[in-house]
Amino acid sequence: MLDAVTLSKKHRSPAAKKDEVQTKYWKPWRLTWNVLSLVTVAAAYFENVTVHSQELVNNGAYKGFLAAYFGYLLIVYGIGSVTKGKIRLYSGHFAQLNALLGVVLIGQDLLTEKFAMIKLPFFVSFAQILDQIKTDQKLLIASTWSSLGLWLVSFIVGTLIGVVLGLYMGRYRQFNYWSFPFLKVIGIIPAAAWMPLTMVIFPTSYLAEIFLIAFAVWFPVAFMTIGGVQSISSDYFESARTLGFSEFQIMRKVVIPGALPNIFIGIFTAMGLSFTMLVISEMIGAKVGLGWYINWAKGVGNYTQVYAAIVIMAILFSVIFSFLNKLQEYALRWRKSSKV
Amino acid sequence: MVQLTIQNVNRILHDNNGERINVLEDINLSVGSGEFISIIGPSGCGKTTLLRLISGLDQPETGKVTVDDQLVTRPDASRGYVFQHGSLFPWETIRDNISAGLKAVHGRHYDRNLVAHYIELMGLKGFEKAYPHQVSGGMAQRAALARSIIMNPELLLLDEPMGALDAFTRADVQDVIHRVWKQTQTTMVLVTHDIDEAIYLGTRIVVMTPRPGRIKEVVTNPLTFPRDRTSDQFLEFRRAIQDKLNFGKKPISETI
Repeated sequence: MLDAVTLSKKHRSPAAKKDEVQTKYWKPWRLTWNVLSLVTVAAAYFENVTVHSQELVNNGAYKGFLAAYFGYLLIVYGIGSVTKGKIRLYSGHFAQLNALLGVVLIGQDLLTEKFAMIKLPFFVSFAQILDQIKTDQKLLIASTWSSLGLWLVSFIVGTLIGVVLGLYMGRYRQFNYWSFPFLKVIGIIPAAAWMPLTMVIFPTSYLAEIFLIAFAVWFPVAFMTIGGVQSISSDYFESARTLGFSEFQIMRKVVIPGALPNIFIGIFTAMGLSFTMLVISEMIGAKVGLGWYINWAKGVGNYTQVYAAIVIMAILFSVIFSFLNKLQEYALRWRKSSKV
Repeated sequence: MVQLTIQNVNRILHDNNGERINVLEDINLSVGSGEFISIIGPSGCGKTTLLRLISGLDQPETGKVTVDDQLVTRPDASRGYVFQHGSLFPWETIRDNISAGLKAVHGRHYDRNLVAHYIELMGLKGFEKAYPHQVSGGMAQRAALARSIIMNPELLLLDEPMGALDAFTRADVQDVIHRVWKQTQTTMVLVTHDIDEAIYLGTRIVVMTPRPGRIKEVVTNPLTFPRDRTSDQFLEFRRAIQDKLNFGKKPISETI
């Protein structure tokens, strides 16, 4: 019996794997671009060293960063130019962006600390931000951990509440009848509106913060989960029943996996809201965390610290985003890949 | 030994305008152990509804469906059901799909050798870890068949399982079904609109007519196994069934 098939990931041939990487990193490898990006990053370094500065900045951290960046590019391109694997595709694909980043770094350095065309204290050079991060590193690391911890607890609580409610409301008509009006009215309220109340109702401000973030999360997750359950084809429920599944097994083997694509849509919608609520609630109630740090910096008028916290947030939230993305990719590996 | 009895069954539905439709009217049928019943009729004759009543997925308005004198009230693993589009769970691998029912009934200590046996029997070796969308339509239907037959049902209900397949794959799956029927001696009821298929597999052919859905005639298949689709006896019997169905004889003007 000869059947045309594409096999599951474990069975995939190395050639098929390479195809997958090639669609992801589709820009062809060009020596010119790779060399050019090295040149721009090197130029950023020499520009910083040679052009006279109008502002008083300690450029040590910035120079260190540029050197590390240059070294990284050199290694990646070096491997890319002699091998044929994933690293070559990767370095070829991102060479143009790396070149652009070098130009952007030169531009911002000239505009701020070199010619002071956009001025302190509201606009600061990247060099100064890096120096600030280095100076405040202990405080920033503690704040980052604290924010990450608070976010993780709240996000998990909010997601669990949303998923459980959504599954039951999607599956059971009676439950849906009684609870959906409440979901609709309560869920639509912006979490931030509860802030003054939560600060006095909850015994500790930490619990109040958890409540606020979880509140921002549960509604989109619950709403999408309901839709996800209701969109599952009745064929799957019927075949489960003819195979002797109990109600609990139908929940576990049909309802949850069937709703999972929609649950993830809800989770990604909730993610952005949760970051917003994290920062806002830390600004109001907390004694620690990145939101608190920004608020404190604002109080003392140090806007460089505000930028420092923003840079850290950009990194932290990107890491969380890509982690959730990976999680989704794994959990939904059974789906036809919709990637072009 | 299994005895399926359908007595005076009526199934009524209401259309969008609230009008009564007699989907099934006064259905009587008795199926004994080891039989292979082919139910054939044009679309809209209620043959799928009849199969759903036997499985317990649907209930009749009047009359009763019994298996071994037990009234059928809900679906059960002892009455396997293979759907037209297979309805394999897309989120489970072929192996997990095939063992789904065993796991549901026996828990973690299900018979893994049995699963391996059916994977082998259905020609699915090497595809255990593939997901349903990664295999061909024929393989998916063989997996769906394995998922039901592995439960060792008293009765296997086949709802046009080859309807969505191309002619070559269809013949292949028909042979698989015939082989399984012979080996396991499971009583099977097949719903189809393919006359060749009904004759090739069935020991008795139930001919149905639409609106209201009635059983027109139950014909015993005179052909012996192995059956040859191109033999004179086959073609002759095919013509007889076709006549009973008024197949291609009614002018279009009359049906509109």
